[in-house]
Amino acid sequence: MNGLFPLYQKGVFEYPAAMAIAVFLGIGFGFMLERGGFGRATILVSQFYNDDMRVLKVMFSAIVTSAVGLALLGGLGWVDLSAIMIFDTFLWPQVVGGILLGVGFIVSGHCPGTAAVASVSGNMDGLVTLVGIMAGSLVFGFAYPLVEGFYESSAMGRQHLPELLGTSWGVMAAAVTVLAVGLFLAGEWVERKLAARKGVEPPKSDPVLRNKLFAGLGVAAAAALVVSFVGRTAPVTPEPAPLALVSADDLADRMVQDPTGLFVVDLRDPGACAARRLPGALCLPAEGDLGRFFADLPATRTVVVYGAAGQAVPAEARRFTGRLLALDGGFAAFHGRYLTRPVLNAAASASERADWTKRNALYAHFTGSAAAKAPPAPPRKVITRAVKKGGGC
Amino acid sequence: MSTHTAPVERPLWNPYVAGIGLGLVLLATFVIMGFGLGASSAVTRTAVAGLHAVAPTYAETNSYFSQYFGDAHILEDWMVFEVLGVLLGGLLGAYSGGRLKFDVQKGPRISVRGRLGWALAGGVIMGFAARLGRGCTSGQALTGGSTFVLGSWIFMIAVFVGGYALAPLMRRQWR
Repeated sequence: MNGLFPLYQKGVFEYPAAMAIAVFLGIGFGFMLERGGFGRATILVSQFYNDDMRVLKVMFSAIVTSAVGLALLGGLGWVDLSAIMIFDTFLWPQVVGGILLGVGFIVSGHCPGTAAVASVSGNMDGLVTLVGIMAGSLVFGFAYPLVEGFYESSAMGRQHLPELLGTSWGVMAAAVTVLAVGLFLAGEWVERKLAARKGVEPPKSDPVLRNKLFAGLGVAAAAALVVSFVGRTAPVTPEPAPLALVSADDLADRMVQDPTGLFVVDLRDPGACAARRLPGALCLPAEGDLGRFFADLPATRTVVVYGAAGQAVPAEARRFTGRLLALDGGFAAFHGRYLTRPVLNAAASASERADWTKRNALYAHFTGSAAAKAPPAPPRKVITRAVKKGGGC
Repeated sequence: MSTHTAPVERPLWNPYVAGIGLGLVLLATFVIMGFGLGASSAVTRTAVAGLHAVAPTYAETNSYFSQYFGDAHILEDWMVFEVLGVLLGGLLGAYSGGRLKFDVQKGPRISVRGRLGWALAGGVIMGFAARLGRGCTSGQALTGGSTFVLGSWIFMIAVFVGGYALAPLMRRQWR
């Protein structure tokens, strides 16, 4: 499946625009958290005393909206779901981390995002919580030699529920919608029971609005379900679309201008790669799981693969979740143009001369000063870093 | 020219409306960027930058902090800018909703000093927990939850378990 979205992964824009977009989406995030009441610790903790379940309602409405939206847009072929980042699972660190986060939540009255919103609302408890979070993350770093073993334990890799259950995003989204509506109704029932017992008013609700919203979510979830099944009547294992190509010229420019923004991977056999490859290129692992190798490359970079002339891109390369491009013409095209000394004909035209100047400069950059400049940072180190970091939070 | 007055306090939104609004922001993030929202990593990064200003050599050689130096990763930078946005959006929301004022949110039976002490302690626990669990309620529960990641759902359930388990002991602070 190959949609236009996600825009960034499809190369529609680059780093500076991404940062500007981050601020705008963050404004939306912060505004919605504030409107949801998440700037106030007293409202947040009411969840855990069952008298006002705003946390449950806001969180699960958000999860359902996003999950159903992704499933729907993915099913329609607009969003390439294979390009959406899926975190790895670390079972026990996440169980313990989650419990401790819940403990910190009821003790401080905030979670990290809401502490930020509380701070700018003027609530000093939020600001103090933020300071605590900073201190706590430093404590984690100080204690890292002690906790590293546990932190890296029970690494289960990609554990994606639709794959584990052999189903589609649409079915999962519909199931989560049913679960959420069940939780909402149960939550409201508990709120009413508790209020009646205490002889107070339950949290204000608007049943008409609520029912309309539930109906809207239900219709969207049903549409996502239908779309996912319609999509399934197509061949079960569709031929993957050919990779977008990058020319040797464009690749050379990117390697010079943004060397840390991409990984170049040599698909030829490791021996040939070890002997001669593009500057900074990674060779395939001589042994081990090729799919794992690609899945572990950080999705935030662009990966450019190349092989010998006519060599097919292995299916495992599709495990890479970020932007994947193939070098047009393979190794030979780049080698012929930038890794062999260009010759300038005496009768060359002005444009041929300009081309030679560029090739000569890049030739010197990629080969002549190789000992001093290339290869860039050893990419292996970067990979372990990215995996270690994990989540987007 | 009339003098400026801050908006009067207005009620919060219906929680389902706010949740759907939040979900649409999250969905837009996936559709535009291919990844979701976060909060704690930007806070950690700020703390590490502070540490680096005081003890640069230690920060760069510590095996956990060292990952914050060297090549930049767009995801980590993105989260910092996003949290800057969260601060602006929260301010905008609090101001326009008439909820922008200096205050300490607490139950009736605890002193301000006591409440701030618990806020600090809870923050420290959460800062540690978010690093151990590789995220917080934003990155794991919302983002990982809506992309059906097994570990994120486990994390989310664990957050509720932890919160509910300790809530009776924290009653004095809140009720």
